[in-house]
Amino acid sequence: MYKVICLLFCFFISASFTTQKHAVKEASAVLKTDSSALTIRHFNAASLEDYRQHRDFKYVDHPGEGISLWDQFWRWFWYWIDNLMAGKVTGSIMQLLFIILGAGALVFMVLKLMGMDMMQIFTGKTSTVEIPYQESIENIHEISFEEEIEKAISNRNFRLAVRLLYLNCLKKLSDAGAIQWKADKTNQAYLHELKNPEQQQKFGLLTRQFEYVWYGDFKVDQEHFQQIRNSFQQFNPKLR
Amino acid sequence: MEEEIFNPRTDLAQLNQSVTEIKNALAKVVVGQQEMITLLIAGILANGHVLIEGVPGVAKTLTAKLMAKCIDTNFSRIQFTPDLMPSDVLGTSIFNPKQSGFEFKPGPIFGNVVLVDEINRAPAKTQSALFEVMEERQVTIDGNTYPMQEPFVILATQNPIDQEGTYRLPEAQLDRFLFKIEVKYPTLEEETAILQQHHQQKTSEQLDEIKPILNAAQIETYRNQVRSLHVEPKLLEFVARIIHETRNSKSLYLGGSPRASLAIINAAKAIAAMSGRDFVTPDDIIYVTPAVLRHRIMLSPDKEMEGVTPDEVVHQIIQKLEIPR
Repeated sequence: MYKVICLLFCFFISASFTTQKHAVKEASAVLKTDSSALTIRHFNAASLEDYRQHRDFKYVDHPGEGISLWDQFWRWFWYWIDNLMAGKVTGSIMQLLFIILGAGALVFMVLKLMGMDMMQIFTGKTSTVEIPYQESIENIHEISFEEEIEKAISNRNFRLAVRLLYLNCLKKLSDAGAIQWKADKTNQAYLHELKNPEQQQKFGLLTRQFEYVWYGDFKVDQEHFQQIRNSFQQFNPKLR
Repeated sequence: MEEEIFNPRTDLAQLNQSVTEIKNALAKVVVGQQEMITLLIAGILANGHVLIEGVPGVAKTLTAKLMAKCIDTNFSRIQFTPDLMPSDVLGTSIFNPKQSGFEFKPGPIFGNVVLVDEINRAPAKTQSALFEVMEERQVTIDGNTYPMQEPFVILATQNPIDQEGTYRLPEAQLDRFLFKIEVKYPTLEEETAILQQHHQQKTSEQLDEIKPILNAAQIETYRNQVRSLHVEPKLLEFVARIIHETRNSKSLYLGGSPRASLAIINAAKAIAAMSGRDFVTPDDIIYVTPAVLRHRIMLSPDKEMEGVTPDEVVHQIIQKLEIPR
């Protein structure tokens, strides 16, 4: 078996040498000479002169030659910046400074665009929500209570009369400095504002009467109204 | 004096008795957290679901479990995990070889009081399984609709969303919760009382002592009473204005929905009933509004970055409105 393989190997080696020799002979037979005419082209002298006169191709700098004062200023400014950046230490510091300034400007723009209150970020205080404030239709300090109450009683509108009694009571408490009148405060808020326990307890009862009539829509007849009015009348003179 | 003049139109004595009993029972085990307990009871009376949020270890699950214990109905608990599937919650149809057909096996949601613990640890796919059952109180599977038994209340607990392994709940689901109660850390005195209670090994004994106070029929009666309470038209307008302002506020990206308006009214009625009144006052509305709105509204990105909370925005909105008087 090995003998057969060796014979085959020798046969292929000899065959390849024969092919190479034949190829060399064929290659030497294809040489040719180029005899075509040549055309010589020359540069346009005028164009060359134009380029020589162009500013972009002048590599030697002559400051202030034929440019405006504004352009001269900017030329000086960038020259100065270049000099600043040129030094190893100064250059790196200035680079850092410019990066910080750039980043700061970017953050400022983003925050401004988002409409954020920047002082709040540092102080931590929350800003108030902007809502159009609607003024109260009634100002308790401008109502003529005696007159309005009598009018409501004569119209047998006892519910409204109780409301006016209560508002009058709030006005008196406010005038006495016991509470601070504000349209957004609830009755319970006023109740908690009172410091005198006795006053607080009595005002609590009046508040409940008002709430039953006004929010609870309990019907009030003349007899009931008179009882309620008496309790208000007992309370009001104690206010100083 | 007013008792002599005004006779209540609705007898709320029984309701108030039950509320006091529940509060007393919970106070034996849970120290402090009065607002959470009040709002939990109000949620049940107003027929709403309640979401309790707080950091781990502030008695969220304990309070929810105790509340369920006070109610003599079917209680079930689902621990929400990241790999929970909708069928694990609602139930699934299983082939019954004997009958040669599919048979529906109800999931744990079919209870009266369902405690969904750590609800925001399951992904949105599982959360969406709760949409129908929370709002419509029914489950539709394989073309069949299964109504829930009344009362049906979901008490869910969750960790704040910035905690590890939590997902933000879909807005549609959040809107279905009547309240989101935020549980804060106890005060120094409360913490001392907790330690004393634990040291004396009272907690486990008192936990066993808690017996059912309300049954399904009572809850239904109380709910009907709450629904019938009087609300002055001016107060309805007041609620509408609050919600309207949330929609126009520059501080908010998403305002309250009409469902939020209804929720405020229902919750305010429950609080009024718990106070023994058969009518709503502005104080009731102002008390419940933050808990009703805080999970429904979304802050604008700038306010969120400034660290403003939804409660602050709600308070500022209310402060700008005139109290109807």
